[in-house]
Amino acid sequence: MTTRPASSQLLIWIAITFLLFPVLILLGILMRSIQAGEISALQPWFYPAMTLHGVGMVGVWYVAAMACAADVLSRHVTLPPALGRLAIAGTVLGVVLLLACVLLGRFAAGWYFLYPLPLKGEWPLWSAVTFLLSLTVLGATWFIWSLGLLWAISRRFSLGQALGWHYLAGRTDPVLPPSVLITTVSLIAGVAALVSAVIVLALFYLELLTGQASDALLMKNLTFFFGHTLVNLAMYLGVAVAYEILPEYAGRPWKTNKIVVVSWNTVLLIVLVAYFHHLYMDFVQPGILQYIGQVASYASAIPAAVVTIFGALLLVYRSRMRWNLASLLFFLGLVGWAIGGVGAVIDSTISVNARLHNTLWVPAHFHTYMVAGLAFLVIGYFYHRCQEAAALRESKGYHQLLIVLMTAGAYGFFLMFYLAGAFSVPRRFAVYPVEIGHGASFAGWAALFATLFLVGFVLTATEVGRRWRAALSSAT
Amino acid sequence: MRIASGLALLFILACPVPAAAAAGDEGRLLYERQCAACHTIGEGDRIGPDLAGVNERRPRDWLLSFVTGPDRMIAAGDPVAVRLYERYNRIVMPNLNLSEEQAGQLLEYLALAAPAAAAPAAAVTELPRPALAGPQSRVLQLFLVISAVIVLVFTWVALSTRNPVEVDVHRAYSIRRVLFVIAVVALAGLLVLTLPKAPYARAGAEPARVVYVAARQFDFLFSEEPIVSTAEVGIVPTLANLVLTKDELVEFRVTSLDVNHGFGLYGPDRQIVAQTQAMPGYFNRLLFRPLAPGEYKVFCLEYCAAGHHLMQVRLTVN
Repeated sequence: MTTRPASSQLLIWIAITFLLFPVLILLGILMRSIQAGEISALQPWFYPAMTLHGVGMVGVWYVAAMACAADVLSRHVTLPPALGRLAIAGTVLGVVLLLACVLLGRFAAGWYFLYPLPLKGEWPLWSAVTFLLSLTVLGATWFIWSLGLLWAISRRFSLGQALGWHYLAGRTDPVLPPSVLITTVSLIAGVAALVSAVIVLALFYLELLTGQASDALLMKNLTFFFGHTLVNLAMYLGVAVAYEILPEYAGRPWKTNKIVVVSWNTVLLIVLVAYFHHLYMDFVQPGILQYIGQVASYASAIPAAVVTIFGALLLVYRSRMRWNLASLLFFLGLVGWAIGGVGAVIDSTISVNARLHNTLWVPAHFHTYMVAGLAFLVIGYFYHRCQEAAALRESKGYHQLLIVLMTAGAYGFFLMFYLAGAFSVPRRFAVYPVEIGHGASFAGWAALFATLFLVGFVLTATEVGRRWRAALSSAT
Repeated sequence: MRIASGLALLFILACPVPAAAAAGDEGRLLYERQCAACHTIGEGDRIGPDLAGVNERRPRDWLLSFVTGPDRMIAAGDPVAVRLYERYNRIVMPNLNLSEEQAGQLLEYLALAAPAAAAPAAAVTELPRPALAGPQSRVLQLFLVISAVIVLVFTWVALSTRNPVEVDVHRAYSIRRVLFVIAVVALAGLLVLTLPKAPYARAGAEPARVVYVAARQFDFLFSEEPIVSTAEVGIVPTLANLVLTKDELVEFRVTSLDVNHGFGLYGPDRQIVAQTQAMPGYFNRLLFRPLAPGEYKVFCLEYCAAGHHLMQVRLTVN
């Protein structure tokens, strides 16, 4: 078996991801256990844990997806090594600041820190400032990282070529790998999102320095434009990796064509306006934007389902598929993306959102596509690259068992979210009032399923870790 | 840093208070603006303890020190202050920057104010899970059916790899075209069906009644006139018990005095029947026609800090 060395930067990202992810899962289990009434003594830690869990998970899977996409990109364009080093250093510094403000300052404004809550909570002012500094470091780092990757792409493809526009004119030269197209789309959206984050942070600093209050509706729009776009593009980066790697297992090509180009250019437009669905319950938002939000959210399902999901199924259908831990995770990752997407599209219906907004239906669908979608794709890629470098013997039966553990655990705790959401159980309640006391039993079962998922993940990480160690010696 | 409306006083042990006398207006205003969001007088603990009888439980000097600098007392390790901090979920009562004179007025009001006439209802510790019905039930069923179809299709494709063969890509592309048309028609149909049901206030809708809602950390105030700032709390009369009439259209005009909150209206069957956000600086207009009589609850559905899950109010539909 031929081996292909892994890059040392990717191996560092794998270590960071596999170190942080189980800790963040434990925080999630802690939160559900508190809601279930099993460890009430830790209730004062619920909201700080929620903040760390939320920011941490979004951040970890965003950087992990960026790391995978950058690694795939390095097959097609030359990346400056200093860029990757900067991304790692900035991310670690941002995480340290985040840990300090939550663990020492008990900062607890939630992952999207909706204005003006960070300045009006029970935590000390220094912790709010540290949180904003943490986001500033992370935002600046990721902004430079995104621009750097776009610059690297631009050295081989013009912007129009990187977006595949020459395919629309009937030309296929230069050949554009789908992963480069999707990564370009995601990075452009990412830059837009990070600009929005910069404005939000600047307005926070302005208020801290001058007392000048900001407009709450404007800040909400900026915050959700940033948050929504960042989460979605992380998913797209995972899909870009699947476009690159899944064909290697299926033994068939998955190429760029006109439909793929139209689809992903449409995604770029849609993702920038679909965020309006986060503000449906803000009735003062101009009505036209609310309706655009629903139309865009529905429209986003078409390129995802009819082009990407259909394309993946066509790729695998009756192929000589080589099933292993990586290809199973890729395949299941697309299932998670599809199911989570259905939950999201349902909730993006304004009249439905009036019944589901800020219930547990919301974490239900984003956990589905972040964990069973994006995380599965990323873990699959990590395993794929480490195995490619280490070429250790694979135990098919054991790997299938790991898949069963993770999948059963994940969908078990998703189902508890969906059921609770349908029963109008609110999200982000440390303790359920007696009228919604039934939320506690869903939380208890969710904690058990999440523990099962954690066991599956730790065993999977051990399998990746064995190959990671072997890959380290030959890393480039 | 402060919680806007405040965890006013951290004291313990409720006990009966003598019959009420008229309280100084300054003390009453201070209580309603700064303390009532987190405390009651005789209605039990909320975010912080019940303040009924507080003057009998603690020395006046200690009370004055605590009211004017709770954060300083906790930081200095005052044993009573620390014990209360631990007891009430380690939430630091904010320093409200009150002068000693204001603190004295507040204590005077608390000494004279009558505990709430109605004793708290007997504590209900558990209710059975409500029946799943209405739109939420249909949404869940739809989601489960589509998810099952997705799982079946992926399973079928995965199993097909047991019999590998080259597929006719052109035939697959024609299937994709059909799927595209089906998806577009289905989604467009759903848009046509659902967009008109958006819950936004429409021109021409004439509510029989307008109720203003001011949300603050951590309670809701109902009133007939708008309350747009903390300074108006205690001056604009509030509705202690809001009673609506079945089938009568009501318009809630919802705002916030501090951070974003959610106004989530739960019906007698404990399911959400309507909601909007409460945002500082804006009034969201929520039209609502109660179709069932009974007791409704409003919960905050936008996370707003440590007392978020305790932020609620009830209303009745006759």
